[in-house]
Amino acid sequence: MRPDTWPLFVDPNVLRFFGEGLLLTLQMSFYAILLSFVFALLLALMRHSRNPLLRWPATVYIEGIRSLPVLLMIIVVNFQGPDFLRPVFGEDFEIVPFWAGVIGLTIYTSSVLAEIIRAGIVSIPPGQWDAARALGLRYHHVMGSIVLPQALRRMVPAIVAQFTTLIKDSSLAYAIAVQELLSRGKVFYSQYFNPVDTLLAVSVVYFLLNYALSLASRRLELGRALPRVARDIALRDQAA
Amino acid sequence: MEIISEFGDTYSTGLRLTLELTVYALLGSVVLGFAIAIFRVSPLAPLRWVGAAYVEFFRNTPLLAQLFFWGFGSPLLGVRFSSDPLEGLFRAATAGLITYHAAYVAEVMRSGLLSIDKGQLEAARSLGLSYLQMLRYVQVPQAVRIVVPPLGNIAIALSKNTSQASVLGVAELLTAGELVESRTFRTAEAFAAVALLYLIITIPLAAGVNWLERRMALAR
Repeated sequence: MRPDTWPLFVDPNVLRFFGEGLLLTLQMSFYAILLSFVFALLLALMRHSRNPLLRWPATVYIEGIRSLPVLLMIIVVNFQGPDFLRPVFGEDFEIVPFWAGVIGLTIYTSSVLAEIIRAGIVSIPPGQWDAARALGLRYHHVMGSIVLPQALRRMVPAIVAQFTTLIKDSSLAYAIAVQELLSRGKVFYSQYFNPVDTLLAVSVVYFLLNYALSLASRRLELGRALPRVARDIALRDQAA
Repeated sequence: MEIISEFGDTYSTGLRLTLELTVYALLGSVVLGFAIAIFRVSPLAPLRWVGAAYVEFFRNTPLLAQLFFWGFGSPLLGVRFSSDPLEGLFRAATAGLITYHAAYVAEVMRSGLLSIDKGQLEAARSLGLSYLQMLRYVQVPQAVRIVVPPLGNIAIALSKNTSQASVLGVAELLTAGELVESRTFRTAEAFAAVALLYLIITIPLAAGVNWLERRMALAR
């Protein structure tokens, strides 16, 4: 510990330095959460579909991506992403590291989230489907107005837990030189030789962010009466 | 994937280190996680608080921050993992993986311990078993069955998270891919090989967990 460096943590310039890092962390997480939720919904519906042309690609994507480290995806998108997309967007196309991080996080999180949402969908008793279809509702009405709202509600705790994982994983953008919160911590302690103090301070910020999020989801008290099967599927990836 | 045979040494060292990290960190986090779980179900409130504080803090902070702490912070606190710096980094990475995943292990074990019917625990105590004997003969043996499949899921997550040790400079699988990439500029191939090798670890693990889930479900 280096108590002599502690006054630096309240220095306005240092606070701004870390504040900008926190802002990047929050922006990256925000975009990745938004994008991965949309893709996850799509993937879950595809995997739940009876049409094998929709089901198979979604299954392969989900099972494959879920089995790979998120850091690998962030690095590959950063290295290979531009090459991959140049045929579409022209020879000068580049992906800035910030967006490479967002895309990497999105690719991974959408696969995990898709399974959580699917678990919610299969947890709704099939009798509701039968009843709704018998009343003459079409698939998209049953799914959109009856099944999905209940499924998502039940899955709120698992979904929020995945978002806290995403916020933690956004620190991996350090590896592709995004100046987010943890990277700035490293820059800072390399100058003042106080890794213990700096890492503790940075960790507390992440902790407050994630703990507030999980408290909020517990406060909502949704997803309490979750059937065992759905809970098992949903909890499969919580240790990421 | 001819690039794997072309750079056989790099990839096989990477694979070996990834497996070693996974095994050591898993063993370590099971031991530490079990101790924390015992704290969390203890009849003594201060012990419960310590356990809860550990779980909430380590679960809600990035693994990478914990790796930096063990790799670059702990030496300043007088912790030396090894006199050989490379071996020291490997052990620091293992320590970071342990502290992070132990929080998840503790939560799984706690829910396992709490799932045992209270009547059984009261019966054990009223038969004259001490608290520790009750844990040893009644609560823990039954909790093990419930806990094994979710522990398998943590093992899968852990095997993927070992990739973050690359940031500390441990030459595991992802580092191997980066080395090959920087030598050949065959980016797609170099990382496809890494992905393939990770799948070789995680897919059998996932199949094993599925099998365990079905077995334990029948036994219940």
